[in-house]
Amino acid sequence: MGLFILRRLGVMLLTALCLTFIVFWLTNLAPNLEKLAKTQGNARMSDEAVVSWLENRGYSQALPVKYGQWLGVLPGYVIEGADGEVRARCQLPGEPVEDASTFCGILQGDWGYSTVFKDEVGSIVATRLGLTGKLMLCVMLVMVPGALIIGVLAGMREGSRTDRSLSTVSIVSTATPEYVSGVVFISVFATATFGMQWFKGTATSAMDDATFENFFLPVITIALYGMGYIARMTRASMTEVMTAQYIRTARLKGVSFPKIVLRHALRNALIAPFTVIMLQFPWLLNGVVIVETLFNYKGFGWVLVQAAGNNDIELLLGVSIVSVFVVLITQLISDIGYVFLNPRIRIS
Amino acid sequence: MTHITTKIHPYAKVYAEDAKAGKLDRREFLARTTALGVTATAAYGLIGAAAPAHAAGHAQQGGTIRMQMEVRALKDPRTYDWTQIAFFSHGWLEYLVEYNNDGSFAPMLLSSWEVNDDATVYTLNVRPGVKWNDGSDFTAADVARNIEGWCDKNVEGNSMAGRFAVLIDEATGTAVDGSVEVVDDLTVRLNLPASDITLIAGMADYPAAIVPADFDPENMTGNPVGTGPYLPETLEVGVKAVLVRNEGFEWWGYAENRGAFLDRIEYIDYGTDPSAWVAAAAADEVDMFYETVGDFVDVVEGIGWERSEVASAATIVIRPNQLAEVDGTQPYADKRVRQAIAMAVDNAVCLELGYANRGVVARNQHVGPMHPAWADVPGLPFDPEGALALLTEAGMADFEMEITSIDDDWRKNTTDAVAAQLRDAGFNIKRTIIPGSTFWNDWTKYPFSSTNWNHRPIDTQILGLAYRSGEAWNEAGFANAEFDTLLAEANSLADAGERREVMAKLQGIMTDEGVTIQPYWRTVYRHAKPGIVGWDMHIAYLPQMYKVAFAA
Repeated sequence: MGLFILRRLGVMLLTALCLTFIVFWLTNLAPNLEKLAKTQGNARMSDEAVVSWLENRGYSQALPVKYGQWLGVLPGYVIEGADGEVRARCQLPGEPVEDASTFCGILQGDWGYSTVFKDEVGSIVATRLGLTGKLMLCVMLVMVPGALIIGVLAGMREGSRTDRSLSTVSIVSTATPEYVSGVVFISVFATATFGMQWFKGTATSAMDDATFENFFLPVITIALYGMGYIARMTRASMTEVMTAQYIRTARLKGVSFPKIVLRHALRNALIAPFTVIMLQFPWLLNGVVIVETLFNYKGFGWVLVQAAGNNDIELLLGVSIVSVFVVLITQLISDIGYVFLNPRIRIS
Repeated sequence: MTHITTKIHPYAKVYAEDAKAGKLDRREFLARTTALGVTATAAYGLIGAAAPAHAAGHAQQGGTIRMQMEVRALKDPRTYDWTQIAFFSHGWLEYLVEYNNDGSFAPMLLSSWEVNDDATVYTLNVRPGVKWNDGSDFTAADVARNIEGWCDKNVEGNSMAGRFAVLIDEATGTAVDGSVEVVDDLTVRLNLPASDITLIAGMADYPAAIVPADFDPENMTGNPVGTGPYLPETLEVGVKAVLVRNEGFEWWGYAENRGAFLDRIEYIDYGTDPSAWVAAAAADEVDMFYETVGDFVDVVEGIGWERSEVASAATIVIRPNQLAEVDGTQPYADKRVRQAIAMAVDNAVCLELGYANRGVVARNQHVGPMHPAWADVPGLPFDPEGALALLTEAGMADFEMEITSIDDDWRKNTTDAVAAQLRDAGFNIKRTIIPGSTFWNDWTKYPFSSTNWNHRPIDTQILGLAYRSGEAWNEAGFANAEFDTLLAEANSLADAGERREVMAKLQGIMTDEGVTIQPYWRTVYRHAKPGIVGWDMHIAYLPQMYKVAFAA
């Protein structure tokens, strides 16, 4: 088990390294650097100014050197610019150049500095990840129990009226993307058009103070989309279990139907949905981009969009690292959790 | 209010006669006279009118206002490219002069100024008694240092250098020696190598924020030294920015009854989608907008908000670039092609389809009736058949024109309207839409594209920025020696009446050369919920939050 986790962690580091290098290379392509200079300097800056802006700030160094500096294996640049000002990579805002440390990279625990937000990447990612975490937690609290109940109820008696109607509901909810359901919800429940202005069409205030009124719509928009999918998986798994020999035996023994479902069927039926639920975490992390934009909730998805849109190199790298870790850690948890749910599987 | 008796510029009196005779409207009169150093109150006095009363009487002291606005990162004010940045920083970094909707220039950190007759010597009188919030005095040395900073071309993205180009020594990229002269503690004199009538207007623009000595653009919120009544509390880019009253600091404006009524100003970012702004308004999460655009004017009025509108010189140009090469040739170098393009487009249609008729039709001259020296020069006639004939004569009838625009609401729609009319006239058109994140990378180089331009107070300003030969922002690739000479001449004529004759020639060249399609002037809107005063939309989007208050 220990070895398994160690090996997984090794894979994780390697993936993070490869991915960040790819992101680093793409964000450092010449046109992207030009865009960076123009968004940071002045949108209508001349070409000569772009070149000197990039040179003064160390963007014109060789790619491996810059990557090494970001990793923290090479010393950060100290460049005297054409304007006579000396700039150092490791300089904090307001700190004199001489006091700057030599190395400042991921290895030193320094995630870098965001050019868009003018703040430490580490603190931005932490704040925004926290906000998305809050959203995801609420979504999970609504989605998982909801989906399991619908799936189990539908799968208990295959082909019954309950099954048909619940299946229809879950197929419809899965088939409706968030950008459709979100807009529909806003126009129905957040405007006076239908006389049902019960919720707020924006979740901006939910960042500081989440209430039922301002947080319900984004949560339900994401939850409904994932819910149908998990419910379908649970139903399939449940119907299969319900036809198993031991269920028939239990019924013949005279065990009551609710007891069969709760005691015998449920645990076995949950194995497949468990993996699906764990897979929802990475999906949620990226899937919230649309909903966060729609409801103007500034979480991780929004940071990703801002970083990509403004070619904010170090922030994008930070976001990539977090994404890699979230995906691989949830997979690790799902593998380990599997063992507990299904004793037939052993991790060597 | 103390009146400072100064010599009234001779032309100001001439203007006053013109204004009284009805030859000059009030806005023009104010813009001309106040730019010459006459105070707005005195200017109103010259034409026998009373200056409009300040809102102070109806304003309530205190309160928190929440304004929807994009929250952008701070940077060196000289390099500001969005007025939204100034909305935050103007809380503590103030301006020398302020430009108002009635066209007048009002003194802020300057108490008054005088311009000599041919606009080569500016005498700036610094307002006495102004203090920095670190306790030191604001003096003429501060003004001189800032002006020298504006003239520093070596700072990348310094757009003030364009506004003060006349003072810059081409060889060193800094201010000409002796041009910025500190006469005494409260007087600065600018000695211009050539005439320029636009400097006061330049000082009122949003990148002209006055910064303290040893100013560090990387640490603006960490060390907010300034002269203004507010201090930054928080700045989360893209999320929220908060200004709070600098308690205990004696702002110069309190004694002058200038306002600064609010205790707290919150700018909240709701992204670029106006429907999100409306959702925020409906949810009572904001009290006013930064700007209301397009169809959303009607939508917000539907929820009971009040409107403020002003006809500005903000506009869009859809221009061919005369230097652009397409497949080895320069298709738009030929004057006939450009004229054909202009003749095939009815500007009224562009206004209707592109901006829902919320503006005034223009004549492709990029100078308009809101400018002091605008001349009434007719544009090219709308003649699609003649246009096609002209295009065929130039041998370009089969040429496929690619028209590029940014992906947004009104700019895209207006460009679409142009493209559709050109197609109707029989031109071969291809439309390309580029997302906002990459559009500006090459905005001056697209062979044929649209660009939005902001309002500028003086008629010659935009011509100098966008159409003078070799200018960085000359996106039309227009180079015309006669135009340049006339423009230099216009820039030396402080008197708008004399300048108008030159402007007529300049506008004539703009029309005849078919430099650009400039279909309309935009009316700009802002909305706020009832019960707030002093929040009017500003003609040039300049920040004046000190005027805003809750109604008493």
